[in-house]
Amino acid sequence: MPKPFLPDLSRRGFLKAGAAAGALAATSRWSPALADEPGVLNYLSWPGNADPYLVEAFEKENNCKIRIKEYVGGDQMLAVINQSPPGSFDVVLADAEYMHLLHEADFIEELDPADYPLKDYWPEFQKFPLHWFDDKLYGVMTDFGYLGLSYNTSVYKPEELSSYAAMWAEKAKGKVGFFDWYLPSMGCVSLSNGNRPPFDIDGDKFEALKEKLFSLKPQASGFYTIADIFSSLTNGQAHLIPGIGEWITLGLRQSGVPVDTIIPEEGGLQWTESLSIVKSTPKKDLARKFIQYTASPQGQVLQATKVDNKKSIPSIAGWKLLNETMPKEAEILRMRLDAPNVMDEYKAKKIQFRQLPSQQSIEEWNDVWSEFKSL
Amino acid sequence: MTGSSPPGAADSPRGFLTGSRSTAGSPAVFAMLLGLPVLLWQIIFFAGPLVFLVVITFWQVKSFRLSPAFVADNWEKVLTSTAFLRALGHTLTVAGTTTVLATAIALPAAYTIAFRLSPRLRDFAVAFLVVPVFSSYILRIYAWQVVLSPQGVINGIAGLIGVEPLPLLGGAFSLQIGLLTLTLPIAVLILTFGFAGVDRTLIEAAENLGCRRGRVVAHVLLPAIRPAIALAATTSFLLAFGDYVSPLFMTGSKPPTLSIVVVDTVKSGSQWPRASVVGVSMLLILVAVLALGQVLSRRTRLRRGGR
Repeated sequence: MPKPFLPDLSRRGFLKAGAAAGALAATSRWSPALADEPGVLNYLSWPGNADPYLVEAFEKENNCKIRIKEYVGGDQMLAVINQSPPGSFDVVLADAEYMHLLHEADFIEELDPADYPLKDYWPEFQKFPLHWFDDKLYGVMTDFGYLGLSYNTSVYKPEELSSYAAMWAEKAKGKVGFFDWYLPSMGCVSLSNGNRPPFDIDGDKFEALKEKLFSLKPQASGFYTIADIFSSLTNGQAHLIPGIGEWITLGLRQSGVPVDTIIPEEGGLQWTESLSIVKSTPKKDLARKFIQYTASPQGQVLQATKVDNKKSIPSIAGWKLLNETMPKEAEILRMRLDAPNVMDEYKAKKIQFRQLPSQQSIEEWNDVWSEFKSL
Repeated sequence: MTGSSPPGAADSPRGFLTGSRSTAGSPAVFAMLLGLPVLLWQIIFFAGPLVFLVVITFWQVKSFRLSPAFVADNWEKVLTSTAFLRALGHTLTVAGTTTVLATAIALPAAYTIAFRLSPRLRDFAVAFLVVPVFSSYILRIYAWQVVLSPQGVINGIAGLIGVEPLPLLGGAFSLQIGLLTLTLPIAVLILTFGFAGVDRTLIEAAENLGCRRGRVVAHVLLPAIRPAIALAATTSFLLAFGDYVSPLFMTGSKPPTLSIVVVDTVKSGSQWPRASVVGVSMLLILVAVLALGQVLSRRTRLRRGGR
């Protein structure tokens, strides 16, 4: 037995110690304790989606409790679901561009389309391409919205902003704010370069996008988190912000800030959220009921009218109920059935899906964004 | 192999016994026992995580999951990235500027507090400096946003006298205001205590020998508080170098500092290993700065001893 007391400093020991420490760190981040408690639906979602306004009726009806684990951004969602033991979550709300990653990693269940009121949806959304794989349904759309160019209405008239080119004008110098997320921000610049779809571009077009983006640097006022987008639009630090939409400007406008969002002629982006059942959940029934509830007319109206986060909804039945019960809200949300509404931009083919880059890696786009910030 | 073990085993208890007999109850052992919890605390909550931080820099991220490995990719990737190098240069410049400004502003302020104010006013001033240290830093930064923003307090007043709105928020100026909000009270406190600790008879002696106030300050006071100056400067540098709040809220990460690079690296793609590389690099720089501070204050002591 040679050298019994010499500490094992080999590579293997190093890895083993590291793995143990890593496991410790990972488990302390999200505790799955109580996750398998009956009557509890574990919901991985963007913040605010377990607000009583949205889920109270469901909880009463099914005598259950919704326990939310909140994430900010699809990357964090993937990190959480990757690091959690199976059975930690029953339902996950995801942005459409991350659905293929969830599907490829085998995290989500195939759904039976007959279980959900998809026939009530606008025809465009009945078979939304990013939610179907090999002709099988994996997510039910709950809400959507557009991203374009948001602006200060006391500085700009809408006709000045018919093109993203306004961001490069002398008037916008030092006044273009950015949402600090490469995807929608670079997506709008890609649209302004005439790329349709904006995220599926070859090496040359990617180089051109990089150059175009870097040329925006003198115009930039800063790179903002969601909270800072609100304050920079309010206090006049930013007059233009690409890649955001009415999910920010509608609420601000209602509280008196002169802001609006326009979809320039080069087009806008669409974000969509959908609900999926997490694989290996023992609460499949409850999870299915929750998705049915959210896709029902009542659930859809609640989605659309939550006070701090107003969204467009894909269900025509939801639109009808909204127009009957809250006609004023329907008008503000541009969801009137007998007047110009949010489906117009979609029908005019001005809207592209927000998707992950397909010919480059996420990392390559991220690196360009980091370099742009540091210029 | 086994033959060598009995003598060793017999050795150690004897050494232990004699050792304990001769030092039981001695102040050295007592101090060691008192210090033990602190040592344990430091090992568990500082050294342990620090080692883990270094270990993680060699790991990999595969499909958003940390997986143990032993590769130098992360170091190579971070240390050669232009975004990191630019952020490093920017952070060093910003922290250096804050250090110079904080020390330059704090010195006369501390001198005034220590020598020119009545004892009652002096206590009052010190209390006023201590309070901000314990109030929320983020709150103070948000307050500055309200004051400096294009539609804020200052531009509101400037507008009344017909001045165009000044771009106060979002730039080097607002960043330094934010960082000085963090560092200045602490620098003034350190220097005030430094001045207060100076032997007054030295000042009297200098004055009796015909020194004017300026010479007293330059040749007696400043050399006497050199360790305090070094401490105030290094503390300012440490705080400014690692700060996340001011660069984020006062400049909108334009350009990003290293602490913002850390957050960005984790946010996009869960790159904990690369974020750890940035973190470890920052720690190494801070250790170097601390060492420099030590050297600067030690040199004074040596010179004083030599005279």
